[in-house]
Amino acid sequence: MRKNQIKQSARRKFFKTFITGSIGAVAGKELYSTGTTNDANGPDEKITALSSDGKLIKVLKSQVEHMHHAPVTPSEARKGIPGKKFVLIVDLGKCRNARKCIEGCEKHHHLTPDRPFIKVLKMKDNPRSSYYWMPKKCFQCDNPPCVKVCPVGATYKRTDNIVLIDNNRCIGCRFCMAACPYSARVFNWGEPQPAEGYDKPYSPETSVPSKVGTVEKCDFCPDVLRENKLPPCITSCPNGVLYFGDANDDAVTNGEETVRLSELLREKAAYRYMEDLGTEPNVYYLPPVDRLFPFKDTNAESNT
Amino acid sequence: MTDIITKIEKIDLPDKDRANIEDDLLRHIAGPSRKYKIWIGVLVFIIAVGAFAYVRQLKYGLIVTAMRDYTSWGIYISNFVFFVAVSLVGSLVSSILKLSHATWATPLNRISEIIAVSAIMSAAIIIIIDMGRPDRFFNVFLYGRLQSPIIWDVIVIGTYLVISFLLLFISLLPDIGLCRDRLVELPGWQKKMYRTLAFNWQDKPEQFEIVKKISGILGIMVIPVAFAIHTITSWLFATTWRPGWDSTNLGPYFVSGAFMVGASCIIIAMYFIQKYLRLQEYITDKHFDNMGKLLVLLSLVYLYFNINEYLGPLFRMVGVEGEHITELFAGKYAPMYWLVQVGGLILPITLLIFKPFRKPFPIMIVSFLVLVGAWLKRFLIVIPSLQHPYLPIQDVDESYMHYIPTWEEWAITLGSFAGALLIISVLIKLFPVLPIWEIKNEKKLIKAT
Amino acid sequence: MKTIKSNIYQRAKILVSIAFLMFQFSNAVSQDKKAIIDLQFKEKNDQKFITGTAYDFENDSIGAPIEGIDLFFYVQRTFSLLPIGDRFSTTDENGEVTVEFPADLPGDTEGNIQLIVKIEDADDYADTSATKELRWGIPTILDDSESKRTLWAAGANAPISLMILTNSLIVIVWGIIFYIFFKIYQISKV
Repeated sequence: MRKNQIKQSARRKFFKTFITGSIGAVAGKELYSTGTTNDANGPDEKITALSSDGKLIKVLKSQVEHMHHAPVTPSEARKGIPGKKFVLIVDLGKCRNARKCIEGCEKHHHLTPDRPFIKVLKMKDNPRSSYYWMPKKCFQCDNPPCVKVCPVGATYKRTDNIVLIDNNRCIGCRFCMAACPYSARVFNWGEPQPAEGYDKPYSPETSVPSKVGTVEKCDFCPDVLRENKLPPCITSCPNGVLYFGDANDDAVTNGEETVRLSELLREKAAYRYMEDLGTEPNVYYLPPVDRLFPFKDTNAESNT
Repeated sequence: MTDIITKIEKIDLPDKDRANIEDDLLRHIAGPSRKYKIWIGVLVFIIAVGAFAYVRQLKYGLIVTAMRDYTSWGIYISNFVFFVAVSLVGSLVSSILKLSHATWATPLNRISEIIAVSAIMSAAIIIIIDMGRPDRFFNVFLYGRLQSPIIWDVIVIGTYLVISFLLLFISLLPDIGLCRDRLVELPGWQKKMYRTLAFNWQDKPEQFEIVKKISGILGIMVIPVAFAIHTITSWLFATTWRPGWDSTNLGPYFVSGAFMVGASCIIIAMYFIQKYLRLQEYITDKHFDNMGKLLVLLSLVYLYFNINEYLGPLFRMVGVEGEHITELFAGKYAPMYWLVQVGGLILPITLLIFKPFRKPFPIMIVSFLVLVGAWLKRFLIVIPSLQHPYLPIQDVDESYMHYIPTWEEWAITLGSFAGALLIISVLIKLFPVLPIWEIKNEKKLIKAT
Repeated sequence: MKTIKSNIYQRAKILVSIAFLMFQFSNAVSQDKKAIIDLQFKEKNDQKFITGTAYDFENDSIGAPIEGIDLFFYVQRTFSLLPIGDRFSTTDENGEVTVEFPADLPGDTEGNIQLIVKIEDADDYADTSATKELRWGIPTILDDSESKRTLWAAGANAPISLMILTNSLIVIVWGIIFYIFFKIYQISKV
C-alpha cells in the first residue's frame, strides 16, 4: 500500500514537472518568436568584407571568423573600416529631450556626466520661430579644423569618415578644442573614473579607458560598427531621432525603419549646421517641421 | 669688494677715460651685496611656491586650474603670449635701433638682449606647463605635423631662442675677454667661466672684424624672425573661428603690442640698473627721454591697430562676435577692458608727450602701467573669446561660465615671472650690463671699426 | 475530505495543463503552414524587375500558389534591411507580385547586392525568406583620400607647397646660424 502511494506520488510529480516544463517551453518559444519579428538579418546573413585583392565582396557571416573580440590597436585604428562612409542624420522633428542617447553613450564609454560626448541643446533659429531640441555630437567633418591643428597627429581623419583620437599620443595642448567651432570635444581635466569591469586594452576605437590630460569626443563607436551593429545612441533613442548608416550603402536606419539616404536628405530638406563654415560635416539635420511633439521645456523624465 | 677697485687703480693705464669706463661697468660683478642676496632669495622663494603648485598640477591634472571645457585656455596661454611679446625687445633695440644708427641706444643693447633671452626661455617653459601630458613632450618632435600652427611656433621659438642667445653672446664676447683679463679677485669658478667663454679673445682686430660681421648678419636676420615669432603666435588664434580671434588683423596687432611692451620693459630695467648699479653717467636722463619718445611712437602704432581690431566687429555686431564685443565694451569684462585701454595705452601716450613725465622715475611708473596693461590685455585676448562659442553653452556647471584663475595658476604664473627675473639678475651680476666695448668704440677709445 | 478536495484540485490542474499544451501544440501544428518563395528576375528597357511567387510548401513538395499574401522585398545593407518596392506587395491570384528594383542602389565594388524576400507575420503562414545574390547594384568606388596631400592629412602627407616653403626657410635660417657658430669657433683660432 505504502509502496503504491510512493509510486503514485512519484508519477504525479513526474507528470507535473513534465507538463509545466513543456508549457513553459512552448510559451517561451512563442514569446521569443514575437520578440524578434524585427530580426534585421536574414538566415543566410552576409556581411561586406575586403578581399585580398582589395575588392569589396559579400561573404556569408558564418564563414567569416569574428576577429574583433579585442579592440583594434592604436596603429590599426588609423585605417578606417574599408569601404564605409558613415553618416548620421538627426530628425529634429522627433526629438523630445529624452536624453536616452546620452545615457546609452555614457554607459558604453564609461563616462561621467561632466564629459558628455552628446549634448542636447535648446535652440531657436530666430526670434519668431519656436524652440527645438538639437542633439549635437562630433560632426566628423571632411575638412576638419581639429585635425588640421593637432601638432602630433593624435587626432586623424579616416577613410570611413570618422575622426578619431589616439589618446596614447595626445599631449593635451587643447588646440583642437579651440579650433572646433562646434564645441564637440571634452577634456579629461582630472583623473577620470576607472572603467568598471572593463579590462580590455586601450583603443582609439573605444575611447576606453579614458586618460587624464587628453581630449575625447564622440567617435561613432567604430568598435561596434565593426560588428555591423548600430552605436548605442541610435538604439537607445525612444523616438527614433537618430538615423545612422553607410553612405556607400545609400541607406540609413534608426533601429526601426530603414530608408534611402539620398531620398531622406532630398525630401526632408536636410541641412548641415553652419554649412558655410566649410568644414563639410557628415551629420545632417532634418528641420523640425511637422513635429511629432510640441516643444516642452521640461527635464528629461517627462519627455520620453 | 674694495679689493677689486684698488687692484684696478694699481694698473697703469695710458688712458684714464678708458679705465674709468671699465671701472664703472665692472664694479657690480664683485661679490653679491646684501640687497642682491635678498632679491635673489625672494625670487627663489616665489619660484619654489610655483614649483610646488606645478607638482600638484602634475599629480592631479589640470583640474587644479580653473580651466574647463569651454575656457580651455587660460592664463598660462595669455602669459605665454605676453612673454613672447616681451622677447621681441631684443630685435627692437639690438637691431632696429642699431641699424638706424641710433647711437644713443648703444648702452641698452645688452639689457635688451638679456631680457629677450630670459623672456623667450620663460615662454618655452610656461607652454610646457600648460600641456595636459608633459610626459609626452617628445611626441612633438617624433610625430610633428608640419601643417599645425603649433609646430610652426615651436620651430620659430627655437630659432629665435638660438638667435637671441647668439646676439647676446657675440656682443658679450669682447667684454668677457675684458672680465677675464681685469677681474682677478673672483672665485675660481667664475674666472674659469670667463676664460672658457672668452673663446680666446685677444682684442685682435681680426676678431673684432668677425664680431662685427656676425653682429651685422644676426642683426638683420633677427628682425624677420622676430616678426615671424609673434605673427605665428597670433596664428594660434587667427586660424580658429572664435570671435575676437577670427581676424586678419591679429598679426600686426600682436607685433605692434609686442614692441610697445618691450620698450616699457627696457625702461623699467634701465631705471633699476642705473639706480642700483649707479650708472647714471651711462644711462642718462637723455636716454629716458629718448626711450619715452620711442614708447609714445610705438604706443600710437599699437593704438592704431587696436582701433582696427575693434571697429569692424563693433560696426557689424554679428552673432557671437557681437556678444563678445558687447561683453568687452559694456559687460562682464568692461572694467578690465577700459582699465587696460585707458590706463595702459591712452594715459601713457598722453602723459609721455610732456617732458616732465619722461624723467626717470615718472617714466618708470608709466612703463609699469603699460606693462600691467599689456599683461591684462593678453588675458582679454585669450579668455573672453573662448566663452562665446557658436553653439550655446547649456547644461554645464555654473563654474564653466566664468574663469577665475586658481592659486596654483597664479603661483605658477608668478613663478614664471620670478624665473625670468632670476635669469636677468644672474646674467647682470655675472657680466657687464652695459656693452663696454661698444661704448668705448663710441667714444673712439678702441679701434674696433 | 481534505484529501478528496486536494485530489480533485490536483487533477483539475493536470487536465487544464494538458488541454493547454494540446492547444498550443495544435496551434503550432495547424496555424502556420509552410510556404516557399520563388524569385524570377527580368530586365527590360534599363528597368529591373523581381517577381516573387509564393507557394504552399507541404512535406517538402511545392503546392499551390498563395494568393493575397504580403511579400516583403529587402536589400541587405550594413546595419539593416532596406525595403524596396511598395509598402505592401500582395500576391495576385497566381501567387505572384512584381517589384521594380531601384536603378541607383549602390552595391559592393563589383555591384553585388543581396536581395532578401520575406514572408513575415502572415496570418496562416510561418515566416520564411528567400535570398539571392544579384549584380544589380551600382559598383562602389573605394576612396583613397587617405593618401591625398591636404592640411588635415597625416604629417607625412602635408601639402607640397607647405613643405617646400617651411623647409627652405628652416634650411636658410639655420644654415646662417651654423655659419655663425663656425665663425665663433674661428674667433678662438685667430
